Amino acid sequence: MDLKYVGKNIARPDAAPKATGRVQFLDDIRLPGLLHAAFLRPEYAHAKIISIDTSEAEKCEGVVKVVTGRECRFRYGENIKDRLPMAVDRVRWIGEPVAAVVAESVHQAQLAVKKIKAVYEPLPVYIDARDSLKKDAVLIHEDAPNFVRLPGMEPVPGTNIANRYTLKKGDVGKGFAEAEVVVEGEFNYPFSSSAAIEPHGAIVWFHEDKTIEAWSSSICPFIVREDMAHVYGLPISDVRVHIPEIGGCFGYKSDVTIEQTVAYVASFVPGRPVKWVATRKEDLLSTLIGHGFRTQIKIGAKKDGSLTALKTTILHSTGASMDTGIHVLIACTHNSTGAYEFPHCHLEGLSVYTNTPPVGAYRGYGHQESQFAMERMMDILARKLRMDPFALREKNYLGPGKVTSLGERLWESNGDVKKCADRVRGIVFANKKKPAEDDRYYYGRGFAALMKSPKGASFSSKSCYLKFNSDGSVSINMGGAEVGQGLRTVVRQVAAEALKISPERIRVYTEIDTQFSPWEWQTIGSMFTIQGGRAILRAAEKAIAQMKRTASQVLRVDEDRLVYDGDSIYLNHDPGVRVAVTKLARGYTYDDGVTVGEVVHTTADARLPRQSNPDACGQGTMGITYTFGAQACEIRIEKATGRVLIDHFVSCFDVGKVINPRQIRGQVTGGVMMAIGSTLHEELKFTPDGQAVNPHFSKYRFPTILDAPKKQTVEFVETPEQIGPFGARGIGEHPVIGVAPAILNAVHDAIGVDFCEIPLTKEKVLQAITAKRAR
Amino acid sequence: MAQTITFTVNGSAKSVEIEGWEKLIDVLRDRLNLTGTKRGCDDASCGACVVVVDGEAARSCVYLAKKLDGKSVVTIEGMSNGTALHPIQEALIEAGAVQCGYCIPGIVMALYALFTRKLDVSEDEILEELSHHLCRCTGYEAILEGARLAQKKMAERRG
Ligand code: FES
Ligand code: FES
Repeated sequence: MDLKYVGKNIARPDAAPKATGRVQFLDDIRLPGLLHAAFLRPEYAHAKIISIDTSEAEKCEGVVKVVTGRECRFRYGENIKDRLPMAVDRVRWIGEPVAAVVAESVHQAQLAVKKIKAVYEPLPVYIDARDSLKKDAVLIHEDAPNFVRLPGMEPVPGTNIANRYTLKKGDVGKGFAEAEVVVEGEFNYPFSSSAAIEPHGAIVWFHEDKTIEAWSSSICPFIVREDMAHVYGLPISDVRVHIPEIGGCFGYKSDVTIEQTVAYVASFVPGRPVKWVATRKEDLLSTLIGHGFRTQIKIGAKKDGSLTALKTTILHSTGASMDTGIHVLIACTHNSTGAYEFPHCHLEGLSVYTNTPPVGAYRGYGHQESQFAMERMMDILARKLRMDPFALREKNYLGPGKVTSLGERLWESNGDVKKCADRVRGIVFANKKKPAEDDRYYYGRGFAALMKSPKGASFSSKSCYLKFNSDGSVSINMGGAEVGQGLRTVVRQVAAEALKISPERIRVYTEIDTQFSPWEWQTIGSMFTIQGGRAILRAAEKAIAQMKRTASQVLRVDEDRLVYDGDSIYLNHDPGVRVAVTKLARGYTYDDGVTVGEVVHTTADARLPRQSNPDACGQGTMGITYTFGAQACEIRIEKATGRVLIDHFVSCFDVGKVINPRQIRGQVTGGVMMAIGSTLHEELKFTPDGQAVNPHFSKYRFPTILDAPKKQTVEFVETPEQIGPFGARGIGEHPVIGVAPAILNAVHDAIGVDFCEIPLTKEKVLQAITAKRAR
Repeated sequence: MAQTITFTVNGSAKSVEIEGWEKLIDVLRDRLNLTGTKRGCDDASCGACVVVVDGEAARSCVYLAKKLDGKSVVTIEGMSNGTALHPIQEALIEAGAVQCGYCIPGIVMALYALFTRKLDVSEDEILEELSHHLCRCTGYEAILEGARLAQKKMAERRG
């Protein structure tokens, strides 16, 4: 297909407004009568609340209201209603809201919070799922089995197990009986934060007419709207949610979380809007955090390298609420096969309540954690089999005719992992030998293949509203949240291609407003390009059909004789007979003023075709395509310090079709950097009694430009996809998946030590080097 | 304790009544409604709030407002004139450094201070300056490229 705009570096429509500081992020919004909230957070990570004395706080200057959770009678959540907007009689994690002050200014609210006196009776604290699973552990939610929840979610009574997901493919016992070699390991991917530079926040306003208006730096306006309407007993249409510019998301601004807390507080001061923006500490402890996965993995293989069986058990420290973490665990579990076909699988994931902030989406959504285990194990298994690790992988790659753990048969259009692997291998391992160890450094090279499954819901859809203006320009309105990933550019390019007009003629929406924006489930799972793109194609087709309908009257000919070229509709056998698009946009007006035809504006949506819930075996259809890729790196380890330096990081993904080369490179370089942070530096740490160790950027080791790889190579394979526009697949989350195993495999290559846990700090490496030397 | 300070912002004189605890970022955002300056942390470690005070890059989140008296401040709002962008902004855009854009005002201001002081700085000096700015989106590659391009553009314009 000859494409004019797709595949080109079309400029971002939002770059200049952002670079001038003119765009409005949540904290930039000023409203008449705006009040500000500040929160009291608990002293203990798990405790009974004995009393809260707010009398001193109430007397402070500027204070309008002090709110506690005493009155709170509702729970919320999309999957299981195990979240409270504010602690009622017990606190369950260190960032939980205990009380709030609403005041005329942020400063006044923060001063008054310090005057609230809360008395607690401490309870035992569980930071790790292994501890809250112990027999005598106190139950974090005694009434969990009674929580309202979606079918298929089962808290185990009398335990802290919030849910157990089991997936069975084939007969794992048989698979291990057939195995000639078995390898086992346990891998840990600890807590961290998406930590966008813009902290999360919300504004909620209960209006006199009983409607609610809210603003949030969220990627899920329609979910926030429904959940709030449900809690306050309003028609969904009476809740209006605005989404301003978002300063990065990377997962944790999804789902409904802080909005319900701000709404609960605002409900005490109806008539005035209440704003709350997280401090960095609150952003790290009181929104959603990432990971907390411990993966036990056991692989069976024949001597020739064919894989026979996989057993994984994943313990998820899901935090004090599971609502936002359950699907991350499910994704982590069924994706633990990585890019390989296992004829027999028994994969199990346990969501376990802990006294830590709730875990939610984090770029990669469960994929990087269990594939970290798989890709490390592939190298370990290859060594045990005395086989070339590439040959071992190649023997087992998923591909056409192969079946995933979920029971989905793959086709050529699902992409080609081997091509990606070959590309990466050719770049990093082209020289047979890595540099030899010298006085200062050890050198190593590591590789990881990867698979990204889709993640959606059966009813999830994305919609497009497309309007032709009378000058032939086009306005497009959608519900997809731009978080920096560049979806506005993708919309422009896909629409330009579909409508055969230049991108400059297309104006893409900026903020989302549930009052005007077409419905979208939520902008997650790296699916906007595929689903949103498809919605644009469908809306464009409808618009063209509509113009042809009007033109057929004007030109007095059947519609099927007509051709559209972006500027006109004309007769295909006599292009001289034509009518301009500008004359059709509002219907066609004859010289005498009589007008025929409809205004050219259309809506369309795109669902995940045949997406289904898991069946009794935990299998099902994801409804959209898989993506494959491979990553590798060349590293150096400084002998004196143990520092791991990334000289070259290489990624290749089969994205079906590159829509915008510059933007897609930016997605990959950013994702790789983020995962290098997870691999070498970042961890959100808690003491055994649940206090946060490093909830500030000065202590939380966020990667800087000095941690960036010396060089990144980013390549793409383009095996066209069937569902996405012009063959495209998603990319947003994929770059984080293979980074940790590629680096840790390289570390083994450099110093011969197998690490199974991240972050692999320089101290840990230095210790290993020293121990090795002592031997 | 309220007090009045007088200083200039983007070339225009301001007289503002402030409280003793207020920081420059509070004055800019809440008193002057110059919201282009961003807050990203509580402890002077992200660089999102950087503005230029008397030619030096300053973190406005820890800069006490009372120290502002008589000073001259340039913020992101002073970098473009409504029709044309500053070459630093152009360069960052061209390099693809603007994703979510939240870190960008601080980076533009830091580069502005750096290049105004001395344009032909080495790449190491640029890296050192940028190492005080956190960006979650780009992986820094495009930011470094944008900074180098800005340096080039500014040199060309200077002729
Ligand atoms: S807000 Fe000032 S350095 Fe982060
Ligand atoms: S562009 Fe988003 S933080 Fe830098």
